[in-house]
Amino acid sequence: MSGENVSKRHPIFTADAWGFRASEQMPETINRSPSKLFYVYLMAPAIALLAAITIYPFLWLIYMSLHKVKLGPVDDKWVGLKNYAKLLSDAKYFEGWVLLGKYSSMCLTFEIIIGVTLAVILNNSRFEKPLVTLFLMPMMVSPVVAGLLWFYLYNGTFGWYHWLFESLGLLGGASILGRPETALYGIVIVDVWQWTPLITLITLAGLKRVPQDQLEASMVDGSSPIRNFFSVSLPNIFPFLLIAILLRFMDNFRFIDAILALTGGGPADSTKLLPVYLFDVSFKFFKLGRGGAIAFSLLVVTIILGLILVRIFEDPARKQAMSAQD
Amino acid sequence: MFYVPKDAIFKTVSRRKFLELGGGAATALGAGSLAVGLNSTIMRTPAYAASSDDAKWKQYAGSKLVFMSENTPPSFAIRDTISKFYDLTGIEVEVITDGLPAVQQKVGIDLQSGNADFPVSYVQDKPIGSPFADYYADLTPMLSDDTLPQDPEGYGDGVWFDNFLDACGRFYDRDRLIALPYDAAVANTFYRQDVFEANSKDFEAEYGYRMEFNEDTTWKNVMEFSAFLKKRRESGADVPYGYAQHHGTFAWTTQLDIQRMMFAHGRWLDWEIDDKLGSKTPPPSNWGDEQSVLLMQKHKDIADVSHPDNLANGTLELNTVYQAGDIAMQVQYHEFAASIEDEKTSKAAGGKTAYAPCPKGEASWIVNGGQAVNGCNCGIGGIGINGNASEDIQRAAYIFCVYATSANLQYDVLKGLGGTPTRKSVLEREDVKAARQRPTSMPNALTFDAVYDHGIRDPHFVLGPKVPEGNEYHSIVAAEVQRCIAGKASAEETCKSIKSQIDDLH
Repeated sequence: MSGENVSKRHPIFTADAWGFRASEQMPETINRSPSKLFYVYLMAPAIALLAAITIYPFLWLIYMSLHKVKLGPVDDKWVGLKNYAKLLSDAKYFEGWVLLGKYSSMCLTFEIIIGVTLAVILNNSRFEKPLVTLFLMPMMVSPVVAGLLWFYLYNGTFGWYHWLFESLGLLGGASILGRPETALYGIVIVDVWQWTPLITLITLAGLKRVPQDQLEASMVDGSSPIRNFFSVSLPNIFPFLLIAILLRFMDNFRFIDAILALTGGGPADSTKLLPVYLFDVSFKFFKLGRGGAIAFSLLVVTIILGLILVRIFEDPARKQAMSAQD
Repeated sequence: MFYVPKDAIFKTVSRRKFLELGGGAATALGAGSLAVGLNSTIMRTPAYAASSDDAKWKQYAGSKLVFMSENTPPSFAIRDTISKFYDLTGIEVEVITDGLPAVQQKVGIDLQSGNADFPVSYVQDKPIGSPFADYYADLTPMLSDDTLPQDPEGYGDGVWFDNFLDACGRFYDRDRLIALPYDAAVANTFYRQDVFEANSKDFEAEYGYRMEFNEDTTWKNVMEFSAFLKKRRESGADVPYGYAQHHGTFAWTTQLDIQRMMFAHGRWLDWEIDDKLGSKTPPPSNWGDEQSVLLMQKHKDIADVSHPDNLANGTLELNTVYQAGDIAMQVQYHEFAASIEDEKTSKAAGGKTAYAPCPKGEASWIVNGGQAVNGCNCGIGGIGINGNASEDIQRAAYIFCVYATSANLQYDVLKGLGGTPTRKSVLEREDVKAARQRPTSMPNALTFDAVYDHGIRDPHFVLGPKVPEGNEYHSIVAAEVQRCIAGKASAEETCKSIKSQIDDLH
């Protein structure tokens, strides 16, 4: 602060205090970026909150998986890697993985194919808005309600869909949930019914962002609509598809509400996916240590598969640009 | 404290005055709350409580309890008439009802975590009692406490139906009682006598004996009835399937389904333990022996001639199949008779259904020796008190338990919603005796001959196994039996797999 600018009355009335300076008096650092510490301060509350709601339970999960955990005042007993070792001889654990893999891949495949197809059909169509609203309705239903709804539709005694499947010769007297060979398909259908609209919605948002000039240029070059979709639209919607696939893939690894309502993991454990088995171990058998070990392994695999998916679906345009830079 | 103009109408309040006023108000509020609190619980003294019957019931007036129960008729009835209990005691009770798996989880977490959010809860014998028995309060001291209201009939084994007190109240220790019998679900056979009568002649021509069901009807007969009806149905006749089993999502009803057939043949048990008391350290199991393998095969053979959607039907859905007229027999819990006899929802109503004990063991299927009996099992729902609750809350909860298991209330529930009494005295009332014959205003009473006079009595009654790892045991047995029925494993493989898994549990 220069000597001339100092007010005799009160410092608040000085020009400096209000930021009025002659341009030649402006410090060189006026537009300098804030220090890194400044960003740390800004993020600190969010980090603290995240730590409380995410990191603490994560660490607690690891702790549980290494202990024999009892609820209540009894001390937990350190068992080292015993809970993990026990999983290696647990056939239901491995069966759970296999079923989860089958279930998740079937759900994702059908949801992506149907969802993207619907989005392409709906995009810029005359009835886009009312149809999108209509298609979104299953997604608004709570998963457990969806499970119960389909449980009744599949019912061998009074279920309308069972009657339909039986009349078409697709099923015999046993309902789709009544045979270990078909029960998994029964729960896949429910997931596809409920969550395909999400894929449609996200893809539709992606299709709106496809550059019109690229599409027009391609058409001028004589591309068919199908070629246009695969060569122009699809590469442009990859980032959107990645989000959709990631969301659904992680949901498939977590959501068991509908499955519990539909089959509870049966018959003959044919729908006991790993998360359902985890629920049983933790909240029916109250073996929280073993449950912690299952949950941790599930989490690790989810993260690894998520990273792989990101790699596969990374924006091709971005990849191209990066390789050009190199 | 604040600036006040000189000519202001209201005077300023000094900081000291403000603090004085605040302190006074806080003291008054605290004293008031304390008075209300003391009035509701702590002001009770043993002398006051024992002074009169009314004082015994009202000593915890102003308290609040939460009762977590399965959605069964007695709980609905208690919830609907809870004002009567409030009028009697001044204790407010919130009755929360849910499906048994949810009750098991919520109560299990509450008990094990040292909380008492549910001071009173439903103690279904095996799913809740077996794993959590140690967390319930011992009722024995309260049963003889003269400062608490007591039921005039008392609580000895003799006032309840046979084996009920053992089933839901005693776990691993005969000197501890954790619950009083509150409701009961006892298995017996529901069968369509109209279908039996219509087909008896043809059946006799083929099998050489009449198609009828009574206490001597064996599991082999059930298989033959089912095979006959299935064959007729497949040849185009308008007849239902013969039989269907309990599978679906309730693992313990699947376990009960195979258990009653096993027990019927030489009183076979999973473990050589006291069946009614259970064991925390059971020895190696009997699964995999010759008897179990043979009966597992027979269980599958019966499944093969049963309703085709056998594996999809849990207990509730099985009852729906019977109500829809799709099967001619089911072994079902006697509380379902009310729904079967409801003409609005059931094709089996109107005198078409008759009730008999569970099928008997077939002598030629017994290889281990022993007696052929009508293996009959059950789920006895007790009412118990959370051991984590304070002494006063436990005593208040006990008053509710006495009320909830009283003969008068059980009689009202039987008349109203179709309950299943646990006290013998209910059946001694004249109108209940009359209701055991058609026409009846208490449909569940039609099952009482088969259930109370036969099935629950020794040597037919089987309860267990009561083991701490009961829920995992049920899950293993259910999954393996279903695998066998689905043709994914042989009877021998199934029994050996069950043995290896459940021996590993304890």
